[in-house]
Amino acid sequence: MSTAALLALLVVIGLVTFVYRYAMIGLFANRSLPGWLHALCRHIAPASFAALTAGELFIHGGEVVLALTAPKPWAALVAALVAWRTGNVLATIGAGMAALYVFKWLF
Amino acid sequence: MHPKLAEFLAGCRDEAPLQLGVVPFGMLYGIGAIQAGMPVWVAQLASAVVFAGAAQLVIVQMLAVGAGALPIGLTSGLLNLRHMLYSMSIAEHVRHLPRRWRLLLAYLLTDEAYAVAILRYQVTPAPDDRPDLRHWYFLGCGFTLWLTWQLSTAAGLLFGASVPAGWDIDFAVPLTFIALLAMLMKERAGQAAALVAALAALAFAALPYKLGLVVAIVLGLVAGVWASKRRGAER
Repeated sequence: MSTAALLALLVVIGLVTFVYRYAMIGLFANRSLPGWLHALCRHIAPASFAALTAGELFIHGGEVVLALTAPKPWAALVAALVAWRTGNVLATIGAGMAALYVFKWLF
Repeated sequence: MHPKLAEFLAGCRDEAPLQLGVVPFGMLYGIGAIQAGMPVWVAQLASAVVFAGAAQLVIVQMLAVGAGALPIGLTSGLLNLRHMLYSMSIAEHVRHLPRRWRLLLAYLLTDEAYAVAILRYQVTPAPDDRPDLRHWYFLGCGFTLWLTWQLSTAAGLLFGASVPAGWDIDFAVPLTFIALLAMLMKERAGQAAALVAALAALAFAALPYKLGLVVAIVLGLVAGVWASKRRGAER
């Protein structure tokens, strides 16, 4: 791809992304969300982050890889427990990275 | 301290720990961009124009294997579709703001900034006796993330090649999401939504153009609404 084509592609992607981000803020500037949409909103964040996390942990190159000796899912489990107990982002990342190094050494 | 500045700084402070996941993410993108043969200035510009980590990472991965503009555009278009949901969920909180504020906050509406800002909006109600300044908090979150994203992109472009792959710095990204998820699931009745979305993400992993992610989020939303209806705890 030429630099000009790449630049054009990136600008289009950037514009589309901005339209996504502004769309609903703009649309619902002067009116309330209908009740059913409002009910949906509270689930947007957990559903999005869960889907992203599952993909990061178990999807490699478009394929689902489930292996008992894969260190990352186990380290993620440790991190999830720490996150649940402490609610602290730094502690979660620290525990998760430490657990990853331990499991990589063990397996 | 001026209350606006205090809110802004509170946003910066609460967003700060997440930067531990953002820095490796940005550096990985920078490294990937160089490996894909992207000119350095274009790669840096993309971090300001696109400003969406997951999409940028996918773009350079696809460029590296010689994908064309159409599949790249489609994939990032679908991957970023979730931002429209973020936009919907934040809409009611920014409705009272002037348009320039709404445009600015929309530009800054990324995964990590959204997650921290929405927690503030949902947990801290608007004060009755003084003006609602929570948009300054949101701005603090967005600004912190934006700055880190630009700097870590630059760091990846400049010295990314010297970070050993064995350090697994990329693992900090899902760890950040896990931390956010734990907080979100404590605050909301989000367990059903999260569980179904995660399982569906795996079930539909084979769909092209990252369509599986979109399907998974939608199914998660349906499950969440259904579960809270069953509990009769709606609103």
